[in-house]
Amino acid sequence: MVTRRELLTMIGCGLGAATCAGWAPASAAAAPAGPRLLVVLLRGGLDGLHAVPPVGDPGYSALRGPLALSPDGATEAGGAALRLDGTFALHPSLAFCAGLYARHEFLPIVAAAPPYWGRSHFEAQDCVENGSDSPSGAETGWLNRAVGCLHDGGLSATTVMPLILRGPAKIDEWSPPLPNRVSPILLQRLEPLYGEDSVLAAPFAEAITERGEDAGIDAHLAGARMVAGRRLPTIAAAAGAFLARRGGPRIAFVEDYGWDTHANQAPILARKLAELDHAVHAFHDAVRPAWGRTVAVVVTEFGRTARANGTAGTDHGTGGAMFVFGGAVAGGRVGGQWPGMRPAELYQNRDVHATTDQRAVFKGVLGSHFGLSAEVLSRTIFPGSGALRPLGGLLHQRVAAARGEKNAARDD
Amino acid sequence: MVVEALRAATSAANRFGLGARPGEIEGIADPRAWLLAQIRRPPDGAEAFVGLPSSLEYLRREARLRREHRRLQHRAVTAASNAARNPFARRFRQTFGDDLRREAVARWQIAATTTTPFTERLVRFWSNHFAVSVDKGPVRLVAAPLEREAIRPHFAGRFADLLLAVETHPAMLRYLDQAQSVGPDSPFARRVDRRLARRAGRRDLPVRSLGLNENLAREILELHTLGANAGYTQADVTEFARALTGWSLPFPAQLARGTIDRAFLYRAAAHEPGSRVVLGRRYPDTGFEQARAILLDLAASRATARHLGFELARHFVADEPPPALVDHLAAAYLDGGGELSVVYAALIDAPAAWSPSARKFRSPQDFLIAALRGGSIVPGARPQPFEGLAARLGEPTFMPRAPAGFSDLAADWIGPDALWKRVQAAEGLAAHVPRAALDPGSLARSVLGSGFDAPTRTAIDRAEAPRQAVAMLFASPAFQWRI
Repeated sequence: MVTRRELLTMIGCGLGAATCAGWAPASAAAAPAGPRLLVVLLRGGLDGLHAVPPVGDPGYSALRGPLALSPDGATEAGGAALRLDGTFALHPSLAFCAGLYARHEFLPIVAAAPPYWGRSHFEAQDCVENGSDSPSGAETGWLNRAVGCLHDGGLSATTVMPLILRGPAKIDEWSPPLPNRVSPILLQRLEPLYGEDSVLAAPFAEAITERGEDAGIDAHLAGARMVAGRRLPTIAAAAGAFLARRGGPRIAFVEDYGWDTHANQAPILARKLAELDHAVHAFHDAVRPAWGRTVAVVVTEFGRTARANGTAGTDHGTGGAMFVFGGAVAGGRVGGQWPGMRPAELYQNRDVHATTDQRAVFKGVLGSHFGLSAEVLSRTIFPGSGALRPLGGLLHQRVAAARGEKNAARDD
Repeated sequence: MVVEALRAATSAANRFGLGARPGEIEGIADPRAWLLAQIRRPPDGAEAFVGLPSSLEYLRREARLRREHRRLQHRAVTAASNAARNPFARRFRQTFGDDLRREAVARWQIAATTTTPFTERLVRFWSNHFAVSVDKGPVRLVAAPLEREAIRPHFAGRFADLLLAVETHPAMLRYLDQAQSVGPDSPFARRVDRRLARRAGRRDLPVRSLGLNENLAREILELHTLGANAGYTQADVTEFARALTGWSLPFPAQLARGTIDRAFLYRAAAHEPGSRVVLGRRYPDTGFEQARAILLDLAASRATARHLGFELARHFVADEPPPALVDHLAAAYLDGGGELSVVYAALIDAPAAWSPSARKFRSPQDFLIAALRGGSIVPGARPQPFEGLAARLGEPTFMPRAPAGFSDLAADWIGPDALWKRVQAAEGLAAHVPRAALDPGSLARSVLGSGFDAPTRTAIDRAEAPRQAVAMLFASPAFQWRI
């Protein structure tokens, strides 16, 4: 459909347009002002015990059996885990994250869950995304409500708008492009037709105005082939580039699939966690001018069973892991309260007991990073969560802003 | 045609069907009868599937390929030949690439040309209801056969038969990890435990290598039958998973030897002994029949009737279907003993299904198929361009991101990015329309039926070239909606 010459022309045009629109590769750009937030949702249920193994917990290795990792050397389940403290380690695929941890910019939170504990993917994801205490507690997404409260723009790096960003606040969408140009005449003539369609008018108008501006990032990524294992890093890098752009969105969302490891979990998660690690790295590099004022949160809908099931995998569980990272994060420690892995300490003698409500983490981030009031957080963004205290100490208070400016100066 | 008759014929072809081919709408004299006749006769175009391998044949060849691969790898330790270094993925592509292409081409061709498009819509509806995904490797070969072997023969029969055919199909057994689920106290698990204990020299070894996997049990309850919030508990899920143990595939050795004649195998030795209680009813241990009895009860449940009625109404009528229509379909399901043709007839007869407010947005695959049909594009031997477009538009064939399948809601498909890609795809598709079919004005009238409004007509008339006019047609809002 597209000749080689057309493709080359298109990339040429794209880069030209990018310069006109004022966007340039992040490393050369002046640092944009204000805090930045990325939320990453891993759909399918990441096994927190596999990503952040509690290798120092006396119950851990017996309970996990063939899935147990060790910081002292390779096991059946994979290479040597990367030790974090006396109790916890990181999966060996998370090497870049471990480096950030050493720089105090990476903070794993253990035993976290949304308020819904019913073990259905779809209901749990709805609950994570709508920000209420139940799967059907709200029609809009909490991140959309947060964008609205900040009178700001947001970005969803997805083809399909996810619940977490649905709602009245304006959210841009972006996903890796199709390689062909669209005839400007066709667009011109379609505009009045779509203008008359009450449902499609707004999204179509947005598509027309945005495509020109994004051409730089599109063309940049059209060159990078979307190979297996690169999907999440590619999209995370694009989100980072948008966040680092002057006048760009301050809040972005990225999602990934394939975390539902019922069988043969060790090799699957070795691959998926490496993809996540590459994504963290790619995002870090792309958002660099704004890194000092950036917080990213990785979240999943539930943890998985503490014991391996009969097929070298794990079934749907409760308490799981979250990751908070970025230049504004007070990392280098493990957050949350560890409930322990003795049978009596497990939830229903089956799952890690959840001791942290994910919303407490998000409230902590939104409160200290964006200065949103307790009132707004408990009524508007996470309705009915007044009794839930924000998790404190996640970010460098004030210091973060100062350090961000220093970093920015260094980058210039 | 008078206005109302044209509107009903348009709904039959575009909302209940796959999108009108030129002349299709004009040929529909009685829309209800046209739809009913389709589910009562054999589907048109099914010869496209003749000669495609069965699941059993695929599994046999796959088992042989794995055996051969292991042998070559073993030999490679001593003599490193090129063939032996060939990684498995490449050998898999070499062995099955043609089959996978033929499966895809057959499916695009029947969609593009069939004269029983309502049947195909229903087949695809059930394929998405019982979604499997080829991003899980072992499912790749058997995903298309699931539709051919389990869904096509039963789509207009009893739901219970459809359900049993799907849950015993290798694609579903592999996708939702049932194939390896073993009863923790089954003879098989005990034998393996004893062997492990002997090897380790310790009889108290706590590590168990085999056991239960509750994935299929949970998704049957939540997605395939009762629906979420239907009142089942974690205990019901676990009990149902225990009953399902033993439902599996033949062992690779049996397949490679060719001594087996069915792609489903009940492994009695892996079945968890004992009676089970699911949703308050006790099921005695009758081996294979235990889980079958549970499935039959689930199929007969009121919650299932409502869940299926809602999904059908949402698929064909509106994102938020009228509750009375859902009740009507659920009642038809229960009164008809779960006979699906009765439910379809009830849908076709319901005035709500033909009301002016009934409207659906085309999903990406539906959009592509409608363009193929409208533009008289017959996919050739290479399915890649269409498969690639479907993927970029967000609906890759047999690859939903979760067992819930692809969304059936407009809100999930109308983002600016998605609309932009549709416009891009429309231009690409217009380039495929054969020269003989390039009469944009009459093509648009014929394809859009009562949806061919004045602004769309003006825009198409003003296009500077026939192909631009056809691109305009495919990209127009009127083409995105099923009315």
